[in-house]
Amino acid sequence: MSSTSFERRRRRAGLLFVAPAAIVLLAILAYPIVESFILSTQSVRLVAGGVTKEWNSFANYIRLAGDETFRRAVVNTMIFSFGEVALVVSIGLAVALLLNHPLGRWGFFRIMLVVPWAIAPVANAVLWKWILNSNYGILNGLLKSLGLIEYYQVWLARPWSAFGFLLLIDVWKSVPFIALLLLAGLQRVPQSLYKAAYMDGAGRWQAFRHVTLPTMRSALAIAVVLQTIWSLRVFEIIFVLTRGGPADATVLMNFLAYRVTFNFLDIGYGAAIANIIFALTFLLAITYVWLMQPRKRRISS
Amino acid sequence: MSLKLTRRNALTGAAALGAASLLPNGFSRPAAAQDSTLGVFGPLPPDPAPPGAAKFAGAEFDAWKAANGADVKYDLVAWPQLHDRMATAFASGSAPWDVMYNCGWVPEFESFLLPFVDDLPKELVDDMPGSSFSTVTWNGKRYGAIFTLSLLTLFYNKEHLDEAGLGAPPKDWDEFLRYTKELTRDGRYGFVSNYGDPAGIGGTASYWMAFLQQAGGTMYAEDGSPAFNTEAGVAALQMMIDLQAAGTDPGSISYVGINDATNVLLSGRASMMMNWPFMWKPAQDPKGSQVVGKLAASVLPAGPAGTASIDGTDAWTIGKSTKDAEKARKLIEFYLDPAIQKKQALDTGWLPIRLSVLNDPDVQATMPLAKVVLDQAQHPYDSFVTPDYNEISQAVGTEIQKALQGQKTAAEAIAEAETLASAIIARRG
Repeated sequence: MSSTSFERRRRRAGLLFVAPAAIVLLAILAYPIVESFILSTQSVRLVAGGVTKEWNSFANYIRLAGDETFRRAVVNTMIFSFGEVALVVSIGLAVALLLNHPLGRWGFFRIMLVVPWAIAPVANAVLWKWILNSNYGILNGLLKSLGLIEYYQVWLARPWSAFGFLLLIDVWKSVPFIALLLLAGLQRVPQSLYKAAYMDGAGRWQAFRHVTLPTMRSALAIAVVLQTIWSLRVFEIIFVLTRGGPADATVLMNFLAYRVTFNFLDIGYGAAIANIIFALTFLLAITYVWLMQPRKRRISS
Repeated sequence: MSLKLTRRNALTGAAALGAASLLPNGFSRPAAAQDSTLGVFGPLPPDPAPPGAAKFAGAEFDAWKAANGADVKYDLVAWPQLHDRMATAFASGSAPWDVMYNCGWVPEFESFLLPFVDDLPKELVDDMPGSSFSTVTWNGKRYGAIFTLSLLTLFYNKEHLDEAGLGAPPKDWDEFLRYTKELTRDGRYGFVSNYGDPAGIGGTASYWMAFLQQAGGTMYAEDGSPAFNTEAGVAALQMMIDLQAAGTDPGSISYVGINDATNVLLSGRASMMMNWPFMWKPAQDPKGSQVVGKLAASVLPAGPAGTASIDGTDAWTIGKSTKDAEKARKLIEFYLDPAIQKKQALDTGWLPIRLSVLNDPDVQATMPLAKVVLDQAQHPYDSFVTPDYNEISQAVGTEIQKALQGQKTAAEAIAEAETLASAIIARRG
C-alpha cells in the first residue's frame, strides 16, 4: 500500500519535472505541426487588412494531384534524393576508409575534410555560382586550360546540366559529415575480426565485404536515413543558383513549398506541400530512431 | 546594508523583473516619444534606399526630422527579401511600419495600404508623369508615389557599334536582330539579358511584356481576363527567340539577377542590354566597369506598334496601421522634394520622378540617360501588375523559358501560358 503511494508520488514528481520541457516541446514542435495541418485544409488569403481563412476540406491536397509543377517537383525530389544518398554514402565511405588508413590519420586531412561542411549554406551557394559562371567561372577556365572544352560552357542553362550541378554541389557539401560518421563506425570494427579473416586467408576485398560492411550496417543505415532527410531540405543552392529554372527543371518540393507560400501567398496550398514533406521526413525520422535503438531491442521488436 | 547573492535573492529579483515587464509600458519609452517615431521599411543600398540610409541628403534629412519633431527608424533589407518579409509581416499581423517601399505589389497588398495620393500637394502630383501612378493604383484608388523613374531602356557599347560600322543604335526589331548578329564576334555577344528568374519585375516574363507592348499587344482584356494569346503575344516571344539565335549570350538563361547580366555588359563581353537607369552610375565607375565612357543609351527598338517598355515601379506607400498618416505622408513629400530628388539622382544614380528635376540641366549633364528615359516615358510602359502578378509572371516566364530552350514553339508556349494564367485568375475568383 505504502509502496504504491510512494510510486504514485514518485511518478507525479517525475511528471512535474518533465512538464516544463514537455510544454516547450509542445509549443515549438506540436503547435506549428498542428497549425500547419489546419492551414492546409483552408483557403488562406490576405484581404481587408488581415488574413481570412476558409475551410476547404482537403481541396488543397486534391489540387496537388492535378498540379503539373508539383508532380515535376516530386519526381525531381525523388531523383535528387536517390542520387544524393547513393553518391554521398559511397563517396563518404571511400573517404572514411582512406582516413582510417594509417597514412590518412593525420589531423590535417580531417580539418580539410570538414571545410565544405562548415561553410555557411548561402556562402557555399554563392561560391558555386561564381565557380560555374559562364563568363568568368573557374571551372570553365580550368577545363579550357586543360584542353577539355573548346568554348566556355553555360553549365546552368540546360535542365539536366543544371540539375546535375545542383546535385554535385550538395554532394560536395554533404560528404564530410557522412564520412566522419562512417569513420566513427569503421573505428568500432574490432581488429580481431580482420585478424581472424586474415588467418582464414581472406584478401582485402573479402575482408571489406565480409567484415567491414556487415559490421558497419547500422552506421550505413543511419547515414542513408540522415542523408535522405537532409536531401529533402535542400533550398539555398536552388534559390541562389537557379530559382528552380531553367523552366522549372530544378524545382524540388521544398523550394516549391517556399515559392507557393511566400511568393504566391497561397498559404493553404503551400502548407499542403510542406505537410507532404513533413510526412516523408517524419517517416524517415521514425526509421532513424528505430535504427538508433540497441540491436537486441530492435530484433525483439 | 549589504545584499547577499543567494539563489533565493536571485529568484526573487527575477520574479520582480518579470512582473514589472508585464506592466503596461513596463520597459518601453514614454508613449509620446514612441508616437513621434516613423517606421520605414525599404531596400538596402545600392537599391533605391531613402535619404539617411543611402549616402545622400543626410543633412536635409536631419533637418526635416528636427523641424517635424519626428524620428525615423529604418528597417532595411536586401531587395530580394522585401516581398517575402512584407508578406509574412502582413500575414502574421505584425507589420509595424508607417511607410513602406513597394514594387509592383500594390494590388497584392492593397488591403494593408492607405490611399494617400489625393492628399499630396497638387503641384507635386502635377510634376510627376501621370502614367507613373498606373502601377500603384488598384480599384480606382492611388496607394503609392513612385520616387524614381525606372524604365527599361537599351544600353549599348558605342565602341562595339563603331567597330562594326553601326553608327546609331537599333531603331526597330529588324535592326535589333541585325545588330545583335553583327555584334556577336571576337568572343563577345551582341546582346545579354537575365532570363534565369521567370517571375517578378525584371524577370523573364517582364522582358516579354516589353516586347508584347512593342508588338501592340496587352496582357489583359477589360474584364481582367488574359488577352495575350494573340499574334502580338506570339510575335513578342518569337522576337526573343530570334534574338537568342542571332547572338544573345547563351548564359542569359542562367542569369537569375540583373547584376549577373550587367556584369557581362560592363566587362565588355556583350554589346547591348535592356537595363534599368540605376546601372548608369556603376557603369561609369572604373573600379567595376571596363566600359567607362563607352556606354550609351537609347529608347528600346520599336516593334510593329512602336517602342514600349516596362516600369520598375519603385514606390513609397503608407501602411493602413500607421498611427500618424499625416506625418508619414509628409515624410514621403520630403522624399519627393525637388532638392532631395536632385541629390538622389546625382549622388546615387537613381533618377528622380519629378519632371522638373528630370529636366534639370545639372541632372541631364551628369546623367545623359535622364533624357532617354524621359523619351521612353512618352511611350507605353505598363508592367501589368495584379494581385497575382508573381504567380502569373512565374507561369508565363516558365513557358517563355521553355520556348527559349526550344522545348516549345512560341505559339505553343503562349497558348499554354494563357491557359495557366486563366486558371490562376479563376482561383482568385
